[in-house]
Amino acid sequence: MRGQLAIHDLTASYGGSKVLHGLSLRVNAGQITALLGANGAGKTSTLRAICGMLTRQGCIELDGRRIEQLSTENIACLGVGHVPDGRGTFGALSVTENLQLGAIRRSDRLSVSQDLDRIYDYFPILRQRSSQQAGTLSGGEQQMLAVGRSLMARPTLLLLDEPSFGLAPLMVRELFKIFRRLNKEQGISILLVEQNAHLALDLAHQAYLLETGRIVFSGTPEVIRKNDSIRRAYLGN
Amino acid sequence: MMELFVQQLIAGISTGTIYACVALAVVMIYQSIGHVNFAQGEMAMLSTFAAWQIMDYGVSYWVAFPLTVLMSFVLGVLVERVLMRPLRNAPPLSLVIVFIGLLLTINSIAGYVWSFTVKPFPTPFGTAPFLGSAWISQHQAGMMVTTLGILVLLFAFFRSTRVGLAMRGAANNPTSARLLGIRVRSLEGLGWGMAAAIGAVAGMLIAPVVFLEPNMMAGTLVYGFAGAVLGGLSSPAGAVLGGLIVGVLENLAGTFIPVIGGELKLTLALVTIVLVLVIRPQGLLGRKLVHRV
Repeated sequence: MRGQLAIHDLTASYGGSKVLHGLSLRVNAGQITALLGANGAGKTSTLRAICGMLTRQGCIELDGRRIEQLSTENIACLGVGHVPDGRGTFGALSVTENLQLGAIRRSDRLSVSQDLDRIYDYFPILRQRSSQQAGTLSGGEQQMLAVGRSLMARPTLLLLDEPSFGLAPLMVRELFKIFRRLNKEQGISILLVEQNAHLALDLAHQAYLLETGRIVFSGTPEVIRKNDSIRRAYLGN
Repeated sequence: MMELFVQQLIAGISTGTIYACVALAVVMIYQSIGHVNFAQGEMAMLSTFAAWQIMDYGVSYWVAFPLTVLMSFVLGVLVERVLMRPLRNAPPLSLVIVFIGLLLTINSIAGYVWSFTVKPFPTPFGTAPFLGSAWISQHQAGMMVTTLGILVLLFAFFRSTRVGLAMRGAANNPTSARLLGIRVRSLEGLGWGMAAAIGAVAGMLIAPVVFLEPNMMAGTLVYGFAGAVLGGLSSPAGAVLGGLIVGVLENLAGTFIPVIGGELKLTLALVTIVLVLVIRPQGLLGRKLVHRV
């Protein structure tokens, strides 16, 4: 099984200001790992640092291979799919073209078109809008498109940045069901950044708690739920 | 009167095809980096001089033509590598200054090497009337067919090849494109190369009409810009349509509106640019970008 990520002592900065201070975490192959934390804790920065979108130091290993020196493009080609903060929609292109761009590095045309069908089965609303300019989709539809686009690359590790953002509660449930299926059926490892801690803990095998650029707690969802102070701070009950 | 009208209309369409070519090159660059390259015309002029030089060495037109297109492609890629990369995060104004600097540099170098006296440039199509018609020459017909051919090729490239799709994606959202493994920088180089190659074709096609000299593209570039803006900077098909309309407008207004005549034709192109930007900034076929949050 692939898609194993090990991060050790990672620091990262935007321009001059440090946002991550020696962060270490693991995503086991075939598992879902949640990264929780308040706004500004460094969740999005962690995902960006993994993909080489920030200046970073430390050690990042994907399936035993060091990737902290690689460019964003090369990391993507190694099987890391990133559903970015802000959805990353190609607004001037059609919905289908957005999805085709997801598979741009693949040469197996036949299975690409099968995958396109599969994405449309996951998100029927996207099929209805397939020839529409993607910039005209609603926020929730663009979120589905971002997930679909990323799946088109057949990633082994999926980095999800707030996938529930802007979605109706019903749609969120659907989307999380799809994540569980992808993880179970295809063994895709997932690193999930999520504001909604309840939702994330329901899905995850492991969870990390991030505070101002450092990991302050980690464990299984049960352990985290049982910890009183964490529950009060992050789960609100 | 009617005959003069038709004649001017066709002449307009044929010069319009050249403006269309230049507009296409402008749109290519705009699509890949989001800026218009003011030195596009001078790069085309340099290519045309290169073609002239190659033929002056005794090489035939049909060897010189593809060789020039190829060299221009390389020149375009080099300009991106050497000049544009260090300016990746520069503000738009710096880019504009660099483009103007490039324009003046190429212009002066061409003047220094080949002098500012006009040179004749051969046409591969011949100058005889096209199919015995009094309205259009073989060269004009050749220009039209060539431009149309380039447009069809470009359209097919952008719509139905993977590289074309990747280029559109990279232009539309570079960050997101990189996350999908698209090498955005290489594609920008490719965009510059293609634009320079299209510019070279435009230069070699118009040189027989305006004669070869370092300032030969000055007017053409303004008309090309007008065409690109009129058609929409985000649309290759719009660029061609815009170029044709500007060509026809220029000819008809120059002939039939006495005030404009030969002197104010260029002003008409500039007025067109201003009017389009005020009334319909996205141009005729350009996409108005819609944002939803």
